[in-house]
Amino acid sequence: MPTRIKLEDGQFNLVEDPFTYASDDEDLPRGDLIISLTRFQAEGERLLSEGRSVGVRLEPAEEVEVLAYDLPRLSVIAVSFPKFNDGRGYTAARLLRERYGFKGEVRAVGDVLREQAGFMVRVGFDAFEPADGSTPEQWAHAARRHRHVYQRAADHRPPAFAERG
Amino acid sequence: MYQYDTLDKEFLADRAAEFREQVGRRLAGEITEDQFKPIRLMNGLYLQLHAYMLRIAIPYGSLNPTQMRALAAIGRKYDKGYGHFTTRTNLQFHWIKLADTPAILDELAAVDMHAIQTSGNCIRNTTADPYAGATAEEIDDPRVWSEAIRQWSSLHPEFSFLPRKFKIAITAAAKDRTAAKVHDIGLMLRRGRDGTMGFEVIVGGGLGRTPYVGPTIKEFLPVNRLFSYLEAILRVYNRHGRRDNKFKARIKILVAALGAEEFARQVEEEWAKIGPEGDLPDTEIARIRGAFAPVHFDTLVNRSEIFEAAKAADPQFARFARNNLREHKRAGYTIVVISLKAIGETPGDATSEQMEVVADLAERYGQNDIRVTHEQNLVLPHVKLDDTPAVYAALKAAGLATPNVNLISDIIACPGLDYCALANARAIPIAQDIARTFADQDRAELVGELKIKISGCINACGHHHVGHIGILGVDKKGEEFYQLTLGGSGAEDAAVGSMLGPALPAGRVADAVDTLVDVYLRERQEGERFLDTFRRTGVAPFKEAVYADAD
Amino acid sequence: MKALTGNRLTDGEVVFWKAGAWVERFAEAELFDDAQKAEAAEASAKSQQTVVVDPYLVDLIESDGLWAPLSYRERLRALGPTNHPHHGKQAEGGAAIEALRHASGAARSSGRVKLIKR
Repeated sequence: MPTRIKLEDGQFNLVEDPFTYASDDEDLPRGDLIISLTRFQAEGERLLSEGRSVGVRLEPAEEVEVLAYDLPRLSVIAVSFPKFNDGRGYTAARLLRERYGFKGEVRAVGDVLREQAGFMVRVGFDAFEPADGSTPEQWAHAARRHRHVYQRAADHRPPAFAERG
Repeated sequence: MYQYDTLDKEFLADRAAEFREQVGRRLAGEITEDQFKPIRLMNGLYLQLHAYMLRIAIPYGSLNPTQMRALAAIGRKYDKGYGHFTTRTNLQFHWIKLADTPAILDELAAVDMHAIQTSGNCIRNTTADPYAGATAEEIDDPRVWSEAIRQWSSLHPEFSFLPRKFKIAITAAAKDRTAAKVHDIGLMLRRGRDGTMGFEVIVGGGLGRTPYVGPTIKEFLPVNRLFSYLEAILRVYNRHGRRDNKFKARIKILVAALGAEEFARQVEEEWAKIGPEGDLPDTEIARIRGAFAPVHFDTLVNRSEIFEAAKAADPQFARFARNNLREHKRAGYTIVVISLKAIGETPGDATSEQMEVVADLAERYGQNDIRVTHEQNLVLPHVKLDDTPAVYAALKAAGLATPNVNLISDIIACPGLDYCALANARAIPIAQDIARTFADQDRAELVGELKIKISGCINACGHHHVGHIGILGVDKKGEEFYQLTLGGSGAEDAAVGSMLGPALPAGRVADAVDTLVDVYLRERQEGERFLDTFRRTGVAPFKEAVYADAD
Repeated sequence: MKALTGNRLTDGEVVFWKAGAWVERFAEAELFDDAQKAEAAEASAKSQQTVVVDPYLVDLIESDGLWAPLSYRERLRALGPTNHPHHGKQAEGGAAIEALRHASGAARSSGRVKLIKR
């Protein structure tokens, strides 16, 4: 079974991935699935009623607002980074967590590099499919390089002004 | 000066350590150049024509003597003993080695300095009025807000991969010394009708290929709602700014495409969802305000006998006083502008020795306070009039007393093709030619205020669009040619300049400027600066004179 | 005729390809009159990711019996900035430097477009 890096209770581990990606034109395999927004809008209802765990893969131009009503029933949102410097995925993750209170998995997929670990964790990503062969230990290291942060974000780390008390 | 506490210092140390690791990985081949480039840009490190260039942040243009001395020392140790002050009030070193950068960042962090986000598609240095805290004109100290924005924007996890760079300027006086209206966000502190403080928010100004004076998106934003509103603007931009075309990716393109009204509506909608939870607590603003070192002013009278006597005795000092001093809010004090535009020198450059002279003067006579202006000069904002003769003597000995602030030879020029990989033509020799043409200080004073700005390419780092005379270097079949514009302004009366005529070869530019000045002197009416005369007559008399010579 | 240039990774120094290695003086650069050989060298240079950044070929023109870069930008890279004659490679002086200074001929170099990305 494929794996992805998962952040749980502050620990980065390689964890088996129960989800299978299915592209828009292929037949759907059995079990838990991650499908595109378009496919979810067409078939999501049916798949959920079959008792599967379903996730949606969001491309950068697709906005999380569209999924607002479905989020409570979704297990994972895979936020796509076609290029690592396309920053729209950071907004997507942050809104999922802070505005919609999404409790499922928010996974970074695509051109995902360990040097972005710090930012990604802060905006609420808790799963990663790195494109650079990096390991959970390397992600843990990269995510912990800063003792202080200046702004509030989805990770609830106290910003510096709150630390000062 | 904002005093860094332990948390602020640890933040810089951690960032420097992070970059050290990243450089190590690049040198070992563990990251590719494509992956490394945004990382090094977010630490202000460019690869230019001759070497790496490091752009060190001078937040809102403010430094103390210790920091200036550190810059001087870094320039000596790691570069060629000089630095270049930029139009965003940062400092550039042009001969840096990648392998030295981690050590340089450590040395900077030791004096509370850094190169965080001075490049890259992120929020850059927030600039402010260089006379902040010294001018009677301001309704509040803009540095407090700039520092708050600096902190909020540093390694912001949501906004570090924007479609393009993002520049913010803050001004608190009616006179705008920051070019706020041609920034991505310009914040102008205002008093509301009920006496409370707020910002007029301008979004979508910019220079470059498509210059815009930014529209006002919000007339009055209460100051305590600043950060939730900034978050709304940045989020709308992050989501909807273009990412398909680098030359159409700034927020100004988005604002122009949507129209100011629709853009403002989208921001309001997002802002309503963010709510006051996104704001900085009042206690934090108060803490930042309090963390600025207090300035101790003596109670003096307006008139300084020493100053008056020195002017009477030395016409050169009198000329310096006429041009390089600005009114201070306290009786007996003055603002000293240090020109980095010596005739024939590179505009904005200062040697390590010169930096040390400025540091010493700030320490001895200037309340440990030094500023950088976006016109590439330095400022000692708090000097007693009694001390100005001594300050002048020291500046003069160091080649820092050219009495040309705001005059025709006070030219802004980007480094241009002599240094910059993006340039099409050189800017520095053009500036030097023009300065030499107007080396006669009497003539320069006769001409009066005339802001010439030179860019070596359309990226407009020299701010040529907002020069009274703007000069843009272009490549015409491999030769250096220069496009002149007239009537631009970066002040509160912001405007983009109009083209004068066909581009001129390098050898003809200084003569053309001379001709333009002759036309101005001929046409001007009582009290008119060059800009005013141009606005009255239009381009015709100027164009006719310059191109009548062409054959 | 072409030469192959780039900036050294560790210090950003302008360097020129010579038989698989890199030299700092343009005068010592390998000259390519064969397009295939030039491109093969460029491909090889691009694989040296920890040695040189963004190598590219530049067009040359004859000047005073020597070869010089065709574009003004490339001559500046081979010399140094014009506002500080003691900075950069030009400080060395000598005939080769003078020949570079006197070169003219200013059509766009093939190297220009790639530079814009840096």
